[in-house]
Amino acid sequence: MRLDRPDAYWKKDVALFFSKRFALLIKMLYPVAIIVPVAASGMPAKYAAAVIGIVAIMAGTFGAGESLTIDLNDGILVRVALTPLSPYRIVFEVLAVNAVLDMVQLLPALLIVYLLHPVNMVWILAATLAVFATLVTANCIGIFIANFTSSPADVLLYATAVLFPLIYLSGFFRNQHPTGILQTLRGFVPFAYTDDALKAVFGLTTTTTPLEILIYPTIICAVLAGAVCLTAPGLLAQRP
Amino acid sequence: MRLTTGSRGGRYNSRIVRSSTQNIPPALEAKNVSRLYRTSGRGVSDVSISVAPGEIFGLLGPNGSGKSTLLGVLSTAIAPDSGTFRIGGADGLKEKRKVRASMGLMVDRPTHYNDLTGRANAYFFARAYGVEEAKAEDVLAELFDYFDLAEYAEDRVRTYSYGMGKKLALIEAMAHGPDVLLLDEPSLGLDYTSQLAYQSRVRGLAGEGVAVLIASNQVDEVEALCDRAAFLHRGRVVAEGTPEELISSVQGVRRIVATLRNPVEYGSVARVGGVQRVVPEGRDLIFHCEERPGMVADVVAALVRSGGDIVNLSVQRPNLEDVFVKLTGEALRDEA
Repeated sequence: MRLDRPDAYWKKDVALFFSKRFALLIKMLYPVAIIVPVAASGMPAKYAAAVIGIVAIMAGTFGAGESLTIDLNDGILVRVALTPLSPYRIVFEVLAVNAVLDMVQLLPALLIVYLLHPVNMVWILAATLAVFATLVTANCIGIFIANFTSSPADVLLYATAVLFPLIYLSGFFRNQHPTGILQTLRGFVPFAYTDDALKAVFGLTTTTTPLEILIYPTIICAVLAGAVCLTAPGLLAQRP
Repeated sequence: MRLTTGSRGGRYNSRIVRSSTQNIPPALEAKNVSRLYRTSGRGVSDVSISVAPGEIFGLLGPNGSGKSTLLGVLSTAIAPDSGTFRIGGADGLKEKRKVRASMGLMVDRPTHYNDLTGRANAYFFARAYGVEEAKAEDVLAELFDYFDLAEYAEDRVRTYSYGMGKKLALIEAMAHGPDVLLLDEPSLGLDYTSQLAYQSRVRGLAGEGVAVLIASNQVDEVEALCDRAAFLHRGRVVAEGTPEELISSVQGVRRIVATLRNPVEYGSVARVGGVQRVVPEGRDLIFHCEERPGMVADVVAALVRSGGDIVNLSVQRPNLEDVFVKLTGEALRDEA
């Protein structure tokens, strides 16, 4: 793949990701700078898992939402939408490439966590997939928010309002042993599976099995991705 | 006032324009298109235009007259409140992707991915329009060379000047060989040589059968390039015809263009009998005057009395700007 000749939307985003070396260095280093000290410290496992989960959520939500609103403000996204490319395909590529690039940023830090806390390979796979599902979900939220605003600052504000209840439901800090409706709702939030998987990596026991972590977030993410792609015609339309 | 449409003898693409009268379906046809913005009340209202294959059609109007809104509708970026349009035979409301594929588009404020090179930007758009990999390389190499951008093709767009960005947008609009070109203020910001190159290219494309719609308030450009033109005023088409037909509708008007060494207060000159308007343009003062004996002498005398040091003076026939003034009582371009 030639980065100097992007022939698809996602390749263009990959080219842009690698085009600024200093920014790339910062992007790759900041998850390591936050996550590795946490993983290496004697912090209680549930909080260490929570920190990694929150970093993933924030990276995903603000990444797609901000880059989308910046492109919408520039007018370049509307111009791209006036090519024969399907708007649904454009939004799907925005979602997929942002999630994968976010994962590329987080992966070195995750690998160091796995080195510091050796665990069964199944849990490594489950945790890695759960983090990716969290990134996809967070990017979906960012793209969804971009439907309502073209201001990157507003994305931060709205994202906070959307994420707080989801983070609460997921049990990162509170609601760790939910019952009744909270337990049911928790099962629909992919962040919750990340929390469970990371807790397992840090040595805590969890009632959620690796298989559940591999299946349920995947299904939820597919539904969310489909739903967010359906907003494409409105999202990419010229705004007054 | 609505003037009749006719072919222009002696023009580069006049043969094709004439053929448009022989039952060839228009490449672009808009019928009763309306789109008004609720906040400002501006937009376009009940606009109908038709552009034949090989024809260059100019949309003239001052800022806010609705040119960009109409191009927004025709490019499928904005949905009209009412009306229909077809481009390349495809319905602009129901077959958007087909319409987009057959169209080359240059918006009034072109934007690019600033951290990609000029060639990467153009390549991305060419491929988005379905141009094959090898063909995209060849076509872009030729276009970058033609528009004198080859030297800067591998530079990031962030480093481009405004004019270079406009040329890149022209390349992106033309690279996939569209049947219809929609160009919004294409020559604004281009240097003289680039303007000539762009006009020559547009004429060449029209000669090959491409229909071109240019929105502009540059009367010189429209007069030089367009087979037909329409004036938009407050969202409505107020006149349509060939530039000659439109200009011939203005009788008894002359333009006196005085180039001055120094700026002067020209209020007293504007009060000379027969002077209808004075428009400053750079070092020039343009007087729209009645055609009467002694008019030029009176203007020159008034200018000299105002302290003007005239370095050049010409008396010109009316142009499309005068037509617009006569039709609407308003200036086509902002007056100082």
